[in-house]
Amino acid sequence: MTGFIEDLLFSREHVWVRVDGVIATIGITDYAQEILGEILSVDLPSMDGYVEQDEPFGTIEAKKTTAELISPVSGDVISVNEDLSDDVGIVNSDPYNTGWMIVVAMSDTSELDELLDADEYGDFVEEEERGR
Amino acid sequence: MAIDEAILRELQQQGSDVLPTLRLYGWKKPSVSLGYFQNVTTEVNIPFCRRNDIPIIRRPTGGKAVLHDDDLTYAVIAREDDRLFPGGLVGTYKVISQCIAAGLEKLGVRADMVEEGRPSDGADFQAFCFSAPSQHELLVEKRKICGSAQIRSKGVFLQHGSLLMSFDPLQTCRTLIPSGADAAALQRRVTSLYEYADRAAVDRGICGILKEAFEECLEIRLIDGSLTEAEEKMKSHLLNSKYRDSRWNMEGKRLYED
Repeated sequence: MTGFIEDLLFSREHVWVRVDGVIATIGITDYAQEILGEILSVDLPSMDGYVEQDEPFGTIEAKKTTAELISPVSGDVISVNEDLSDDVGIVNSDPYNTGWMIVVAMSDTSELDELLDADEYGDFVEEEERGR
Repeated sequence: MAIDEAILRELQQQGSDVLPTLRLYGWKKPSVSLGYFQNVTTEVNIPFCRRNDIPIIRRPTGGKAVLHDDDLTYAVIAREDDRLFPGGLVGTYKVISQCIAAGLEKLGVRADMVEEGRPSDGADFQAFCFSAPSQHELLVEKRKICGSAQIRSKGVFLQHGSLLMSFDPLQTCRTLIPSGADAAALQRRVTSLYEYADRAAVDRGICGILKEAFEECLEIRLIDGSLTEAEEKMKSHLLNSKYRDSRWNMEGKRLYED
């Protein structure tokens, strides 16, 4: 696997989180974008929205399927990546940086305990791959 | 749509011992279903639909618009790690297409699976599901007969498909495609079961034939079922909060914002 970033946390729904205090930046993993194939559009909540852990926060339209994005944390959406409406392809080309999706002010940072670090996520992906 | 999504939502809550579902259904009257991301104003002739009492509904699945006039719709809902559907995302399309092709074979219709998707002919046709085959969709003599689309969420997938019994390119152009589209060109790209199979045999037994084909291909036995209490409850919730709501059907308004 390539493209893991050590300072991120990962959900089993293939979403990454970059944490800075109570602020969480969220996007999909390199593995997720690879599985989905060419991403055509993404439907994200608006700036004043609230997202809930383990609930959908958006939907992604890829060439092969449509997939719901599952939030790894709960909180208020304080920023949405506007660049994705001009060029959603950056989710494919740069999922961990310019391809981020939303920023959330977390309401409960203890939810982060349920997420995986890069090594654990790598193992999780390998296991999923074996099951395919 | 509410039933299909209710089964999906309930399966997300259940453990891996819950069985997958195959639903086969028709539509009470001609209706348009839109893909999750489609823009109704640019892709459907809304005045024509209103004049002719053609309801427009948005699917939870992706893909393009379908005029359900004389088709059989299927829904398969299963866990992504279900042993019946190996090979991930693309594998699911392949397995389900193999089952449907086996059903068509029983009616004497030879369908070929598309190895690589091909682009649609031009802007006029891009909104229409049958305008271009995607990978692992089914063609009969190079014309598309069955279209499909998916949604995946929390380890569960729902795949919708539409198998055409008959095809009316003119009505399709009037309903779905901007005026000026070439119905003759569409006719060359799309076909239907009645063109190749005995109509009486199709009408008599298409559901049974497809069920048998799924059972044989997947080496399973299908059990007739009805919605559980939880699925019924979820269906009612989805009907009221989503599928009867024009914000969802016409605008695709994201309901997780509510």
